[in-house]
Amino acid sequence: MKRLMTALAATTCLTAPALADDEKIVVGFATAETGFMQAYDKPAQDAAMIRIAEINAAGGLLGKQIEVVNADTKTDRAEGAKAGLTVIDAGADMVVVSCDYDFGSPAALAAESAGLPSFFLCAESIKAGIQGVGPNSFSASVLAAVQGATMAEWAHNKKGARTFYRLLDTWTEYNKGICDGFDWMLPQLADAKLVGEDTFLNEDASIAAQITRIKALPEEPDAIMLCTMMPGAVSAIKQIRAAGINSMILNGSGVDGSYWLSAVPDLSNFFVPVQGSIYGDDPNPDVTAFNARYKEATGGDPSTQYVYPGYVMIDVWARAVERAGTTETAAVVAELEKMNAEPTLFGPRTFTSEIHHQNRARYLIVETKAGKPGVIDEWTISEAIPVAELMK
Amino acid sequence: MGSLLQVLFDALSLGSLYALGALGIALIFGVMRLVNFAHGDVIAACVFALLWPSVDAVAIIFAGNLPWYLLVPFVLAFGAALSVACEALVFRRFRRANPATMMIASFALGFVIRYFLLMLFSSRPKSVSLLPALSQPVEILGARIPLLQLITIAVTMAVLFGLTAFLRRTRFGLEMRAAAENFTMARMLGVRANRVIMGAFALSGALAAAIALILGSQTGTANIMMGASVMLMAFIATVIGGMGSLAGAVLAGFLLGAVATVMQVILPPEARAFRDAFVYGAVILVLIFRPQGLLSARGTRERV
Repeated sequence: MKRLMTALAATTCLTAPALADDEKIVVGFATAETGFMQAYDKPAQDAAMIRIAEINAAGGLLGKQIEVVNADTKTDRAEGAKAGLTVIDAGADMVVVSCDYDFGSPAALAAESAGLPSFFLCAESIKAGIQGVGPNSFSASVLAAVQGATMAEWAHNKKGARTFYRLLDTWTEYNKGICDGFDWMLPQLADAKLVGEDTFLNEDASIAAQITRIKALPEEPDAIMLCTMMPGAVSAIKQIRAAGINSMILNGSGVDGSYWLSAVPDLSNFFVPVQGSIYGDDPNPDVTAFNARYKEATGGDPSTQYVYPGYVMIDVWARAVERAGTTETAAVVAELEKMNAEPTLFGPRTFTSEIHHQNRARYLIVETKAGKPGVIDEWTISEAIPVAELMK
Repeated sequence: MGSLLQVLFDALSLGSLYALGALGIALIFGVMRLVNFAHGDVIAACVFALLWPSVDAVAIIFAGNLPWYLLVPFVLAFGAALSVACEALVFRRFRRANPATMMIASFALGFVIRYFLLMLFSSRPKSVSLLPALSQPVEILGARIPLLQLITIAVTMAVLFGLTAFLRRTRFGLEMRAAAENFTMARMLGVRANRVIMGAFALSGALAAAIALILGSQTGTANIMMGASVMLMAFIATVIGGMGSLAGAVLAGFLLGAVATVMQVILPPEARAFRDAFVYGAVILVLIFRPQGLLSARGTRERV
């Protein structure tokens, strides 16, 4: 009998922290604090912490303070699942997972099986959400395909680009996503023509053969759609320009930031879509004010636009909790799915019961001219990319 | 004509990179039967030697600001010193160990170097503007070729001729060749083993530094993983060239560069994503027909 009592007491102790606490709301971060993903997770997480601090300072959520618990995924998929369970055991009402689908999904799946909502910090694959995790999973960023489609339509309408060349780095799903969006948009553009295509690998020491193929074209293409990411992007851009090709280069958001521009001095005719500007020239002065708060909190300016999804994530989730009047999963997810062009600091956001990601979004267009990046325009694709297209 | 010339230069410059890498591995294999898998990490360390340690997104350029006539010797000396330090601190203790043990030790050493860089610089790739004057196209017979490609090819040729002269004409080179052929016999005949091995490591480190300079100015990026892909190709080149044969390693390095470039040119777009599979397929074919490598080294042949 005594033994049974001890056993019972032990189980109660173990389960106690998992019970909902009525005094506070807990956000669990199962993200990378070490390893290479840390460089991507930390900035977005810092931005999320800024929004949490703002909410707490304004009296909290549903009158309760938001508390944060952390577990390190160590940039490892197995550790990611453990980290997910750790924050769930610590009583998380919502689980934030690593930026990338591959590294974030183990923790998101743990949240899904515990019946909790989860948010990818900045994953840009359709799989980061209902399609790859389950009905309670969301992503705070915009699909990679939207970036490719945005650049194609914008370059066609605003820069008169007609001949396009497609250069894909086959390393990641993100890269393929950009080119998929480009492929979907291109046939819809009047007179636009794909004059050639090629692939390379992010780690290729040289893309000379690919460049030779571009130069063998009878005419330099108006635009090169470059679907790649760091670190290979810098190398590709540098080699394209070193070979004397001056076509406009269109990219995904992955190459945003001025930290790498020193590698390609005086780069020009180079365009990137961003959710908000880190260069102090965002059309919305509140974004520039946010940049200042970010600098105050972390000691440095945002280095890329991937800081911003972290802020949007807490913002939309907190609004859904406020409207639902509870942190209970079904009610919060239902409120999130009601959001249609919900205004945020970084453009409108929409979630539906079909897709928990943005298949259409407003992007600012940043042009780099003589080595100086700055916002020159903004663009929203004329229609949302169909989910069926994204699942191809 | 112009585009054919362009392909030729593409192949030669990529091949140069692999040849320099293969030479660095073959040199050490020749004198001590060690496949040095830390070579790729020495390459990465040489690129990071240009930067001041910091985990910020923006790289703090340190030695990278030197004028080129100081920068190049500095990086070469750094590579040689790092490589010699690896030998003195680690590989010397494994002199009598079997080759498999040494290979594992070299893997471990590679990890130590890589994680040390991770600690100092973080995993975020850094941008460096290294020798920006080389990022310009030059016109040759109708082909516009990046200046860096020409320099890469010229430097590799110079290194190859220099090394050949060194190995054939100097006493140290003679000792090194003797050691490569039969280490025990060479020692008995008065070759100072430690000195020869140190020399091989210093040369190999300097070659790694040369690759670092080329890669750094070509890609504009310093990344803790950047040596890995060159190291893999270079290792394959030493195997198909015939383990321990310096000439074989260089020949195979150029062949690999040529095959990779030609595949990129002739494969249809759908198959281009699998280019490396075709390259490795060619490697397997070579090994089926010449398992001992293209030019097998005399010292490694079975003696009956």
